[in-house]
Amino acid sequence: MTTTATTAAAATPTAAERKKAAGHGEGNPGKAGWATKLVLVILCLLWIVPIFGTFVTSFRPLDDANSTGWWQVFTKPSMLGNLTLDNYSNAIDGSNMGNALINSLAIALPATFIPILVAAFAAYAFTFMEFWGRDFLFLTIVSLLVVPNYVAFVPLLKVYRDLNLNGTFAAVWLAHIGFGMSLAIYILRNYMATLPKTVIESAKIDGASHYQTFFKLILPMSVPALASFAIFQFLWVWNDLLVALLFIGPGENEPVTIGLTHLKQQLGQGWELTTAGAFITMLVPVAVFLALQRFFIRGLTAGAVKG
Amino acid sequence: MRIPVKKSTSLLGVAALAASLSLTACGGDSGGSDNGNTVTIWSSIDQPVQDGLLKALEAKVGSDIKIDWKKVENINQLIMTKIQAGDTPDIAFIPQPGVVKDMVSLDAIKPLDDVVPQADQDSMIPGTLDAGTVDGKLYGLLVSANVKGLIFYPKKAWEAKGWPTEVASIDELNQLTETIKADGETPWCMGIESDTATGWPATDWFETLVAKYGGVDEYNSWVAGDTKFDSDIVKQAAAEFEQLMFTDGNVLGGREAIASTNFGTAGNPMFDAKPGCWMYNQGSFITGFFPDEIKSDLDANVGVMGFPPATAGGDNPVIGGGDMATLLNDSDNAKKVMAALAATDIGNDAAGSSSFISPHSDFDPANYADETSRSYAKVASESTGFLFDGSDQMPGEVGAGTFWKDMTAWISGQEDLDTALKNIDASWPS
Amino acid sequence: MLGKALTALVTVLIGIGGALAVYYLLNKIAELMPERWEARIKPYLYILPAFLAITLYLIYPAVLTVINSFKDRFSREWVGTENYTELLSSPAFRDTLFNTLLWILIVPAVTVVLGLVVATLADRLQPTGEKLAKTIIFLPMAISMVGAATIWRFVYYAAPAGQEQIGLQNALLGVFGKDPVAWLQQSQFHLNSLLLMVVLLWSQIGFSMVLLSAAVKGVPVDTLEAARIDGASERQIFFRVVVPQIKGTIITVFITVTIGVMKIFDIVYVMTNGNFNTNVLGNEFFNQFATNFNSGAAAAIVVMLMVAVVPIMWYQVRHFKAEEANA
Repeated sequence: MTTTATTAAAATPTAAERKKAAGHGEGNPGKAGWATKLVLVILCLLWIVPIFGTFVTSFRPLDDANSTGWWQVFTKPSMLGNLTLDNYSNAIDGSNMGNALINSLAIALPATFIPILVAAFAAYAFTFMEFWGRDFLFLTIVSLLVVPNYVAFVPLLKVYRDLNLNGTFAAVWLAHIGFGMSLAIYILRNYMATLPKTVIESAKIDGASHYQTFFKLILPMSVPALASFAIFQFLWVWNDLLVALLFIGPGENEPVTIGLTHLKQQLGQGWELTTAGAFITMLVPVAVFLALQRFFIRGLTAGAVKG
Repeated sequence: MRIPVKKSTSLLGVAALAASLSLTACGGDSGGSDNGNTVTIWSSIDQPVQDGLLKALEAKVGSDIKIDWKKVENINQLIMTKIQAGDTPDIAFIPQPGVVKDMVSLDAIKPLDDVVPQADQDSMIPGTLDAGTVDGKLYGLLVSANVKGLIFYPKKAWEAKGWPTEVASIDELNQLTETIKADGETPWCMGIESDTATGWPATDWFETLVAKYGGVDEYNSWVAGDTKFDSDIVKQAAAEFEQLMFTDGNVLGGREAIASTNFGTAGNPMFDAKPGCWMYNQGSFITGFFPDEIKSDLDANVGVMGFPPATAGGDNPVIGGGDMATLLNDSDNAKKVMAALAATDIGNDAAGSSSFISPHSDFDPANYADETSRSYAKVASESTGFLFDGSDQMPGEVGAGTFWKDMTAWISGQEDLDTALKNIDASWPS
Repeated sequence: MLGKALTALVTVLIGIGGALAVYYLLNKIAELMPERWEARIKPYLYILPAFLAITLYLIYPAVLTVINSFKDRFSREWVGTENYTELLSSPAFRDTLFNTLLWILIVPAVTVVLGLVVATLADRLQPTGEKLAKTIIFLPMAISMVGAATIWRFVYYAAPAGQEQIGLQNALLGVFGKDPVAWLQQSQFHLNSLLLMVVLLWSQIGFSMVLLSAAVKGVPVDTLEAARIDGASERQIFFRVVVPQIKGTIITVFITVTIGVMKIFDIVYVMTNGNFNTNVLGNEFFNQFATNFNSGAAAAIVVMLMVAVVPIMWYQVRHFKAEEANA
């Protein structure tokens, strides 16, 4: 690894660069110049404007939204007066939000945790253990990424019916475990492959079993990858409507996504409530993202990598 | 955002697929056909219509039979999935004749000829039984109908102009179009954008025109695939469509705007202080999309006339659609419920409180809530035949596929008419 | 409500605890074996639960799919290769293949580059700024497809000329006195396909940003410091120090996005449903599957995708082998 650094160093440094490099703080490797900031501000604006427009729209009455642009809220004072919380209160009332939120959490937490655990074990085996058929099995698992999961629905409904699983939380957990597994193994295995083999070797010499190595060394070192995958898996499960509809269905155990579909009528009236609902349900994944952000810290793996 | 009406891809959006199989109120668990005296029903009918029908149904069957009626999202796709998974309700309301046929070929539904009392079959508006009839047996019974080929106009502004509120023939309609244009106005509102189902409003236009020009037999032959799209009758329909919609100054925004204008809001400029366009040809359900202030007093704000026959006083069939009840379980209770659904007076409650239109010719118009609904019903009952929406009857590849897509491509100028018609013919499954 | 919450909590704990117990037991079983066997059996025990899940949820349906691709629309009669020949002989399907190829060529590359740009640049901001920038870029991922479709509708929508424009792009054109453009109908140079790709990029860059950000953070500070002390410019450090160390993650993201794009359908389905020459394989599959109820043709499309993905996987495995040999 240091070889690359030395190569880079071969370039003649200017005094200014030396100064810049020297003046730099502990964890943060670079410093944002105005160009960096400008690029980021532009990107962020591009990203946020469409969302912002819809956010404004979610407070507008339907007829306003259908007939005038959302920006007119800021140019025509009369439009501003029309803004209302009705879309939000109707969305919350119509979808039995409280109960649905609990269900969504009860579905999403295990459906995030279990596949990560299962995939991490498999990824560990694929990365650090030698066994017959390893490459073939890995290749099979990853090729299956391309299979759209809806081909599985009909066969699964039959299996679930025989096992009497339909309508239970377990039915959805298992489905999300199955559907998320390929990607989870793929991402985690690729990450683990970048961890230095020497660490494992020395653990082995110290007499650690695979089980210990996995829990004490590899899992902690893989935290950034685990955290990223946790974010995605949580997001997919949280926003999933289809799997929930097929295997849990509306009723006592329905998650938020199903709750929101009650708002919509056949002829399409009611989409403005869906927009409001989308912003409400968005809060939880964003909170999860922010909470897991703290695992993206420089140097978390640095100590081990150095070894 | 606009959600397509009841077509097979009638999707909500959410993770697209999501919508496809989505049910709004029915469990992933079994329909529960074994639970003694409970009869389960699934439908994608509008909630107010369902509520009205359920009220009348419960009164009819009494307390011995418990009705468990679930509103599901997009029944067409859900029922096919659930049939293959072996997990179905006792009765399902299907809006697409093509799906009823598929259900028959999967042996999933029972014939209704002996279940529905003859008197109730006889009272149906002529033609309404045809769409649910497969190989000579009745499998799908139309319970709640809608009517297409209705020309809506802004009543107050229209009357101020003094234009005719009734046209006797397509020629007169063309003249009316010219009259409006001569007055410096834009005659037609038009939009076929409907996200995943973009194009269907154009197919409704074609169906109406083919039915008016060709009559019942020609229409049925076309819908069955015996008369090709690349045929004189379809081209005659296309020529009229082209004259009304593509002529400069006839449509708000011009030909270019048709494919990008949403069908749900296309009619709204009619209700501007100075109407942006004056006529909108759509189904009876379109009033649900009109602005709130218009909806609050439909009778005062909205005028409606039936699309005229080809020649004054000639053959005048009407196109419509609706939800057909199918029987998946022939238990006695389920049969009783089905027979109750077939009765004329099952709609008495729904008619007053929803967009329900009865398919029975002896239904009392006094039950309808407003004059506007009565005028749709009148268009239907005075027609010389009720023809079920053709694109809903054609195989999915055509009716929810190439017919939409190639019409859209033609209207937006990406294909010429001949190519579009030939492409549709080529997509017809062998 | 409280009772409900408690039941849910207990179920969650049972589920998570159960999963942990399974591995504990599996490991115990392995340890009970003679040592030689233990080493041989253990890898299989570690991948067993994952493999069971994959077998039921992916392999079994995939095998059924291969079988169904040779059967008729209701999977009853054998029809040989008819599903394949019929698809491949249709000109519309060939357009669909071409569009899919376009997506595969453009989207993964742009996703990786933009994701890397955000991950690297945001890394240099103060912690608050970094958090804010990343959250904004991540935000679209938290929005469901219905939300995304609605949001972009307010960007691309074209009302007839003369009417009030509610779409942002056409409103901007209006400011310059130009007529509205029906954006999603503009198929010259596949502009409309590109506009759909923008929606996907907008909603999915967060994915690549999160993964790449984790990798960038994993680059040991001392290698950076060493380069800096040696006087390397930031650009040199990025290309010669950072990129080589996160190459593995870049490839992972690239391949994951490529595979995701191969089966992309929701954005296309929701926004155009393949009209105006924007159709892609995933959307065609969905329409065959859920609109036409033709499970034969739908299965054939999935099989084509599975075959197409093999070379990518082969490259991936070879790449890992090479890495291992170098290590």
